[in-house]
Amino acid sequence: MKFWKITSALALSLGVALSAPAGAVEKRDGKFWMVLGGRQPVSHVDPGQAYDYAVRMMTQALYDGLVKYSGDPPKVEPWLATDWTTSDDGLVWTFNLAPEARFNNGDPVTADAVVYSYQRVLKLNEGAAWMLSDVLSAENIKALDEHTVEFTLDRPYAPFLSFLPWWFIVNPAEVETHVTDEDYGKAWLSENAAGSGPYTLEKFDQGTAYWLKRNPDYWKGFPYDDEKMGGVIYRLIRETSSQRAALLSGEADMVTDLTPEELEIVGQRPDINVSSTPALTSFGIKMNTQGQYMSDINLRKAVAYAFDYETFVQVYNGNATLQTSAFTDAIKGKVDIDMPRKDMEKAREYLSKSQWPDGGITLEYVYVQGLEQQRQMGLALLNSLRELNIELEMTPLTWPNMVARAADAGESPDLMSIFTTPVSTDPDAVAVQYHPSSQGKYYGSHFLEDDELIEMIEKARKLSDWDERAPIYAEIQQRIVDLQPEIFGMMRQRMFAYKTYVKGYEDSPIRMTSEVDIYPLYIQP
Amino acid sequence: MQRLILKRLGLMVVMLLGLAVITFTVANIAPGDPARLAAGPDASPDMVEKIRVERGFDRALPVRFGLYLGQLAQGDLGTSVYTGRPVAQDIAVFLPATIELVLFSILIAVVLGVPFGVLAAVWQNHLPDHAIRFLSVSGVALPMFWLGLMLQWYLSLELGLFPLGGRLGTFDDVPTTITGMISIDALLVGDLATAGTALMHMVLPATALSFPALAAIIRVNRAEMLEVLGRDYVVNARAQGIGPFRIIAIYALKNAILPTLAMIGLRFGWMLGGTVLVESVFDFPGIGLYAAKAAISSDFEPIMAVTLILGAAFMLTNLLIDLMYALLDPRVRNQI
Repeated sequence: MKFWKITSALALSLGVALSAPAGAVEKRDGKFWMVLGGRQPVSHVDPGQAYDYAVRMMTQALYDGLVKYSGDPPKVEPWLATDWTTSDDGLVWTFNLAPEARFNNGDPVTADAVVYSYQRVLKLNEGAAWMLSDVLSAENIKALDEHTVEFTLDRPYAPFLSFLPWWFIVNPAEVETHVTDEDYGKAWLSENAAGSGPYTLEKFDQGTAYWLKRNPDYWKGFPYDDEKMGGVIYRLIRETSSQRAALLSGEADMVTDLTPEELEIVGQRPDINVSSTPALTSFGIKMNTQGQYMSDINLRKAVAYAFDYETFVQVYNGNATLQTSAFTDAIKGKVDIDMPRKDMEKAREYLSKSQWPDGGITLEYVYVQGLEQQRQMGLALLNSLRELNIELEMTPLTWPNMVARAADAGESPDLMSIFTTPVSTDPDAVAVQYHPSSQGKYYGSHFLEDDELIEMIEKARKLSDWDERAPIYAEIQQRIVDLQPEIFGMMRQRMFAYKTYVKGYEDSPIRMTSEVDIYPLYIQP
Repeated sequence: MQRLILKRLGLMVVMLLGLAVITFTVANIAPGDPARLAAGPDASPDMVEKIRVERGFDRALPVRFGLYLGQLAQGDLGTSVYTGRPVAQDIAVFLPATIELVLFSILIAVVLGVPFGVLAAVWQNHLPDHAIRFLSVSGVALPMFWLGLMLQWYLSLELGLFPLGGRLGTFDDVPTTITGMISIDALLVGDLATAGTALMHMVLPATALSFPALAAIIRVNRAEMLEVLGRDYVVNARAQGIGPFRIIAIYALKNAILPTLAMIGLRFGWMLGGTVLVESVFDFPGIGLYAAKAAISSDFEPIMAVTLILGAAFMLTNLLIDLMYALLDPRVRNQI
């Protein structure tokens, strides 16, 4: 009897589940919760540890920095800091904090908290530490009073301010109570938050979903009046087809990683908005300038002129823009350069000047296994090079294997397809990719070493006056293009799709390809 | 029987050790620098080096293996370089999800596969046999991934009959963790609504996952039944006027089921390790996705732990099947 009772009840509940509506705007406790579908799991929410777009998206919602990037073109705006000054020699930076700033537990955000947070990252030497560790020592960050903090750099470093949006302030009182084994609170902060951001962490359900609850008392307020916004759930939806299905069915209100084809399909729906805008991310095919073949600049030029650049745009269904400089469009000081475009006459001319005037060689092209667009670009390159009697061997590799090969000039392939996203709009963030200090990193797989270029990069980053820096960066861009360490490709668009009731979406090219600023988003059915 | 169990468990330890050696070697000679990946794309060389030293990647391979074995002996599966979380903590979350899915899939495969196999044998070369053989060939031929996508598209998106993915709805409360299997836990605490929702979430992924096993069970069971139905004792039973249902269900099936049982055991092991595609389509947060992410990230300790656990599960399942053989077949029992 009991068996039949349980069976009937189960059948009833299955029936209820079957008849449930496929989805609409979700409400919980009378408030709207937005479901954001993305493919990348959030490995942790500690602003002091290594980051990717998912981590950065979450930490930006949970924490505040002294300044914040916003807009297009991206600008550094005051946030926790209301204003700042720089000494004439560019060494001392002084920031005044907003006195009303509060952590989410009610504690005031003080200069001591800023000092603690910066020192924590520098001592951990993880995550964002690489941005400043060469120019800023932990002992040179000082609280002058409760709301004033001073940074003294070891040497002038013009891009300093442009990195600060990624340095978030933690509440020392909360972190210190959770320090174990001198870990600077790493273990605890991985799945807990101690910030002053617009959201608090409600649930960290690893591998499934991450819940951010809106803090209605956020010290800086919100750019909308609707108090019905309850929170945002970043839900993992790993397949693009599943993302599309989730958006169409209403199980997700916004999705971040649709393919160009998927975007086109959902964009035809009246209840869905799509956004496709150029990102700071560039795609290029890096050439190993220390390799057996590509060390010959004439061969590099020949390959660059043989490539059909329209392929870059075609494989993304038009959701890409060709680069017109070594710098992408949103980088400060970017100038238009006369870039190589397909010209077989020039390609043959350069090839004839190379060590292999008749071709007859085989180059290796490495791309990320499973990335169809990169495979298609390889096929286009293969076709182009055949006209020069050069064969192309296409090698798909997993990302860790690519990174491993890119770390060593002797192992790095002749050609490697790479997406690169700078974290700052300062031109140094891109120029440094062509400096020997980038060798060993995946975007340094060209292993370019050019004394003239090095000198210009090092000179420009020390100058505080933009009028002095700008012409140097114009020269740097020209020099990089002249040296042809890569087939300069395209700026891939950032593609998002969201229900029309999702309001407040603000695009900024500074964000990584699939990253969204959660702060201004809200729901208005 | 006890001697057999002890002997097999002893062998299991040796095999697991062998598995650990192979996995450890493969994971470490494969290209890829886990320290660099953990440090992030922009990390400076000293940041990478710090992580390398912290995680012991700078030590000689035999030393690392020794340390790893010592760690395993204490029940410590290590820490994920990628998430910084203890691997055991992750596995405690993801493994029950996969076991739940696989059990449900096996249930579907057995409940449908055994009767279909019998039916196909009884109606050999007639319409039911042709239809069932078509189903079993489809099960072998259709890729799980594609089938999952089609089921999701039609039954979920078009007809709205099932949820798109996940283990529960976004806003559903998860019942108190007892086994980690949501449907079971919900039943144990008497939350029938949540149990129903969890089962609904499993229908599509379990169907996609069960298809190859269903096909295999049908084919094996059909072949065995055909052989058994032609044996003398069956002819004798028919001659004695015993009803066809009794002959098929009691006399024939009992003898034909043994190879099917072995097949179920093997499939269970394969399914545990082969759920990644289905988990990916349906966003079912199980061990397959966890292992795949770890493999992509060169995250060594989760890969090792998952391999060992799946290996142990595979061996245990086979031991259980052998014991069931002994219970069902007196000839096997007498040989032990």
